[in-house]
Amino acid sequence: MYKGPAAGWRFRIAPVWDQPTDQDMPLMRIFTIAAILVGLMPAGPSAAHDSDTLPRLSFDAYGTLGVVYSSEERADFVGNLLQAEGAGHSRQLSHKVDSRLGLQVTAELTPRLSSVLQVVTEQESDGRFRPGVEWANVKYDFTPDFSMRIGRMVQPTFMVSEYRKVGYATPWVRPPEEVYRMTPVTTFDGIDFSYQRRFGKYINTLRGVYGSSDAESGGGTEFRARDVMVLSNTVEWDAFLLFASVGRYRLTIEDVNPLFDAFRQFGPEGGAIADRYDADDKQVTIVTAGARYDPGGWFVMGELGSLTTRTFLGDPRGAYVTGGYRIGAFTPYVSFARIWATGETSDPGLSTDGLPPPLAETARQLNFTLNELLASGVRQKSLSLGTRWDFARNMALTFQYEYLDLSSDSPGAFVNIQPGFRPGGSASIVSLTLDFVL
Amino acid sequence: MKRKFLAMGFGLAMASWLATTWAEVVVVVSAENTNESMSRSELTDLFLGRRYQFPDGAPAVPIDQRERSQAYPEFYAEYLGQTPAQVRAHWSRLIFTGRGRPPHSVPNGQAMADAVADNPRAIGYLHPDHLDDRLRVVQIE
Repeated sequence: MYKGPAAGWRFRIAPVWDQPTDQDMPLMRIFTIAAILVGLMPAGPSAAHDSDTLPRLSFDAYGTLGVVYSSEERADFVGNLLQAEGAGHSRQLSHKVDSRLGLQVTAELTPRLSSVLQVVTEQESDGRFRPGVEWANVKYDFTPDFSMRIGRMVQPTFMVSEYRKVGYATPWVRPPEEVYRMTPVTTFDGIDFSYQRRFGKYINTLRGVYGSSDAESGGGTEFRARDVMVLSNTVEWDAFLLFASVGRYRLTIEDVNPLFDAFRQFGPEGGAIADRYDADDKQVTIVTAGARYDPGGWFVMGELGSLTTRTFLGDPRGAYVTGGYRIGAFTPYVSFARIWATGETSDPGLSTDGLPPPLAETARQLNFTLNELLASGVRQKSLSLGTRWDFARNMALTFQYEYLDLSSDSPGAFVNIQPGFRPGGSASIVSLTLDFVL
Repeated sequence: MKRKFLAMGFGLAMASWLATTWAEVVVVVSAENTNESMSRSELTDLFLGRRYQFPDGAPAVPIDQRERSQAYPEFYAEYLGQTPAQVRAHWSRLIFTGRGRPPHSVPNGQAMADAVADNPRAIGYLHPDHLDDRLRVVQIE
């Protein structure tokens, strides 16, 4: 008998997990050998880099020191689903939401062959700060415009996905969770390519990835994504940037299998419910479109994302728009974001008519658990006001006030829900971050 | 008489100081490089890592001055319309995604003159007082 998942962890419509937990070391070794072989291929016209000083090793670092306050004391505000704790209930002021340190080594071996290793230390799913591998790959440039990478990469699902952790490179304290939480997979192990082509003043960049990913949420739920494929395209001209992406993978969340196995014991009716909502090798599709206009003195950017799952995660849509104005070293900005559900957030479940009383009680419990899962998706609106201050070389302070308005019955982006928490309420989140690059 | 010379000397010193500090940064290539002009967007793409070739198709190696130099912020403000912080954010996006690194940098205008003169593929920028006959100013349209 399934005891119900709500006790141990809370599931949201749009989970994000950032660090795959298994490190495919033998796979990485194969990648390395493959990359060395690629490096031995005959050279055509080489990239325009200064090759006199190769091979070259570079060390770079980025990081964020952040504190977050949440007015909601009966739950935790977290930066992504991976995190076990945040601001509000666990601590009034949390340093664990935004703080992180990224260290990177880049090895330029030949004008065409390079390798990157980036380790990010941040709050992991057990609530502790621990290092995890964000990037570890070997890149080969067939031409300066066409490159291929093998190893661990980040999926180009959204406009700023690949550098979303580099606070210095983004205008906000953190990317709008109403969109950036939608993707259940961020990194992957596999292969990707990038092809850039100019058409007059237009620069077009096409990217494709293929691989797999495993991860663990803050509550300890394990996710498995297979046959991860993303195709993204960016067009840039003058101050404009247009972005579009389509991603697909097969998702398995074994922790919910016992629930749906229990449904299946209720015959065809239970089987149909299980097939509709389980997450056992289910196809997930995520489609994104974004745009940015940044002539220098000000900027405006926005994205729209759509996740289709045929699981209990539902079919959320998310969008944000952010605008900012640069006045000397200050960049005040305003951001509006929203995530809403287009799929079911409740289901009548098994009919209990005619069942013997003990079975009817079991059916009612299963229906309750299923509806808890369906209702627990993130549905919320947020309005953020903030300013970035580039007060020193390599460093910026960002202050952000965010008003969260949760849709009815939704716990929004909160975790560690305590007794007395009211779904559908509102909260104020205040964040201060110090971002740096070295 | 002596005072007049002093005043003249002071005036000349002032004039040359003004000339060096007020003169706009110019974009230079080696005198062996045949590219005489390029558009502002071509220059922008070269220095932001979006283009790797001169207008005539020859490979290009951009060279920066150090961020702390006087020429660096002037060049990026004048030709690219960007502050050093914007340029640094741009390169952060490329560095930390493994997609590129900023141009190699040299400590001052004289080092820039030498570096560009040494390499027909190089393109750099400096104050006009560092110009010599090994270099050619590229017209930016």
